[in-house]
Amino acid sequence: MAKPIKLAAALTGVALLAAACASTSSTGTGSTGGTGKTLVISTDLPLQGASKSASESTINAIKLYLDSIHYKAGPYTLVLKNYDDSTAAAGKWDAGACAANAQAHVANANEVAVMGTYNSGCAKIEVPVLEQAPGGGMLMVSHANTNPGLTKSWDPGEPDKYYPKGTRNYARVITTDDYQGSAAAQFAAKDLGVKKCYILNDNETYGQGVGKAFQDEATKQGITILGNQAWDAKQPNYKALFTSIKALGPDCIYIAGIFDNNGGQLVKDKVAVLGDNTAVKLIGPDGFTGYPDLDKLAEGQGMYLSFAGLSTSQLVAGGGAGAKLLTAYKAKYGSDPTTDYALYGVAAVQVIVKAIAGSDGTRAGVLKQVFGGAGITISATDSVLGKELIIDPKTGDVNAKDISILQLMNNQEGFLKAWPVS
Amino acid sequence: MATAELVGPPETREHGRLTHNARWAIGFGTAAVLIFVTYHWVLPSLNANINTFVNSWLPLSVVDECMVWMICALGLNIVVGFAGLLDLGYVAFWAIGGYTAGWLISGQFYNLKIDIFGSPAAGTPGIHINFWLVLVAAAILTALMGILIGAPTLRLKSDYLALVTLGFGEIIPQFFKNGDHLGTLSGSGGFDFTHGERGITPVDPITIGPWKLGPFDLDWQFAVFAAIAAFVIFVCLRLRVGRLGRAWLAIREDELAASMMGVPLMRTKLAAYAVGAVAGGLGGVAFAEHVGGVLPDSFDFSISITLLAMVVLGGMGNVWGVMIGALVLSWINANGLKQVGSTFNSTFGTSWDFPSYNYLMFGLILVLMMLFRREGLLPESRTKLLLREPSRTDVESVGADLEGESA
Repeated sequence: MAKPIKLAAALTGVALLAAACASTSSTGTGSTGGTGKTLVISTDLPLQGASKSASESTINAIKLYLDSIHYKAGPYTLVLKNYDDSTAAAGKWDAGACAANAQAHVANANEVAVMGTYNSGCAKIEVPVLEQAPGGGMLMVSHANTNPGLTKSWDPGEPDKYYPKGTRNYARVITTDDYQGSAAAQFAAKDLGVKKCYILNDNETYGQGVGKAFQDEATKQGITILGNQAWDAKQPNYKALFTSIKALGPDCIYIAGIFDNNGGQLVKDKVAVLGDNTAVKLIGPDGFTGYPDLDKLAEGQGMYLSFAGLSTSQLVAGGGAGAKLLTAYKAKYGSDPTTDYALYGVAAVQVIVKAIAGSDGTRAGVLKQVFGGAGITISATDSVLGKELIIDPKTGDVNAKDISILQLMNNQEGFLKAWPVS
Repeated sequence: MATAELVGPPETREHGRLTHNARWAIGFGTAAVLIFVTYHWVLPSLNANINTFVNSWLPLSVVDECMVWMICALGLNIVVGFAGLLDLGYVAFWAIGGYTAGWLISGQFYNLKIDIFGSPAAGTPGIHINFWLVLVAAAILTALMGILIGAPTLRLKSDYLALVTLGFGEIIPQFFKNGDHLGTLSGSGGFDFTHGERGITPVDPITIGPWKLGPFDLDWQFAVFAAIAAFVIFVCLRLRVGRLGRAWLAIREDELAASMMGVPLMRTKLAAYAVGAVAGGLGGVAFAEHVGGVLPDSFDFSISITLLAMVVLGGMGNVWGVMIGALVLSWINANGLKQVGSTFNSTFGTSWDFPSYNYLMFGLILVLMMLFRREGLLPESRTKLLLREPSRTDVESVGADLEGESA
């Protein structure tokens, strides 16, 4: 019995070794063409766990965009390399994987900029390492980090503690949680006429940040906040939690967090105890958008969602570069991207491409394009987001502060209205 | 018989040959120096293809991570392998070590400004104590926590002990996750002890004398981790052959017999928890430095299980076996499976998601090990003898059955 197994193990080992010698390529995918220096740009996304399909959509959209510009940025030829910042063991982003990726980005000599990360916590590990990269630092542009502390004063010591050398290297094309929470609170007060609201947060960086912003603005708008409590993602159900909330008589529940943290059960139990979403309004942030499981959930129908940006349907309706890319996406992959962040991923790559095009092809040169002089501006006609994007060279934040209010109806996230904030 | 193995401790001086202590120290030291030299001098001078190959299959950041796993697995081996106490919550000590680093070498307590031979960026508030002193602090704190956690559990045996340790392993990371509003029941205010789910980032770099390691001095980081590992191996090997180690083995083999022979059960078991916890604490500090911060999400139940798998795979009770188990499994988890997958996919044109089969593979390895090599890859000689010794031959079994029938 043991002999065949040993033989099989030996054969497998030899086969793998042969394969390893035959191909030493890493996780990179890409395309080259033309002449000139070849530069690598990368994505750093969670490719395993619940965010897998969102990350794959984002990468596919970026590939389509790079195809459309023939993988060229000025005189340079581009190669796209994808890094995975999640592990199977964690089922989501992992601190160790983020630390290892930061090292790998810097070690890859031709790599000049990173598109990512998806999770703010991961960015907080990678940004300081990239900032200290030899030769003046390395650019990171995120399409999805909405935690304010990465670019502006938020928690004590932020954001300076992420930039030990005192130079900025991190930009983003999406607005921050403080705006999103505020917009949701204004919408609840003005359009929904909510008077008493209870906040539940998932106790994560993002959930707490967006919950705090909602609470502050709601109080200003005259909404009574009955409480702001964490929900435990490991609980089998939340009936007891909602029963205790019911006694307070809320007419709105704000769930600040991500759907991955047992959000489905939370929504089901909210409806089971407090009634459907027309009686007691249910409002969530963009941590609940882009999940087909929630969209199809009967108890989720009628739920209001905010999104720190413009939704895919709005971008299609607006026409222009974004709509064109989405049409091409649907033609190639048979459906729309599973996340509204996919186009923001492309917008981040547009910033990177423009910075590379104007640079001398070095990391420092690319960084200087974004954080030196007037910074980077993507015109309204070029921008896949349908409006002019200006990256503030002092902070790395973007000028566009669009918040969309969506509503779950007929198993779809339908666009309700735009809610610009200042 | 198994007991014959215990007549002479393995470090007994052999005429004309190196002692066991000198042999392992030279062996481990040579391996560590070889790795350091390879990454520091040899690889940079080789051509780009070789560098790409090594950096994709075994980058230095993965080697460093493997060292952290190895330090913690050696600690768990003291509890599980030496003393035979099944601990399913070892991750708690790893977390405590990590948070000790978070508290003592970062800007977490921003209203303080304490700097004891630390390496903070200029003008940074918080507590900044020298890395080596933090290692000592983590060792003391985790030893105390080991005793604290161990004390109420030691009256329990087998399954019950495992369940209680499992509980502690769940409670402590939850405390770190929720410890940002201590002293209040609401979601805001109170004392921010752990910074909650957001974790504590970044931590100050390691210092060696006046020299501050940068984020890319991974080779020197490896040297520091290897030194910590060497210390843990030294402690394991010396304790193993000493009075305490023999008492642990006696408890592992037969608790009742050990107590009848005068082994103080309570004290000996607590010592196992404390010493094991120290290794976890040291590993935790190393991990915080490796990642550049400490996040509560990193410390979940799967870590305890993976560590246990490392100990079982390598060979419970054997320091070298556990080291091999830890290195192999941590490499598979960090990079190995991903790299095997991408190589396989690019060679055969498939698109299988190899890393998602991680736990399936761990499970399969463990099942195969239990079927064909229960004692682990490099078993401890005692365990090997015990497991290989037939407890009752077929003839004896038949005889015993016949006796049973006639009775």
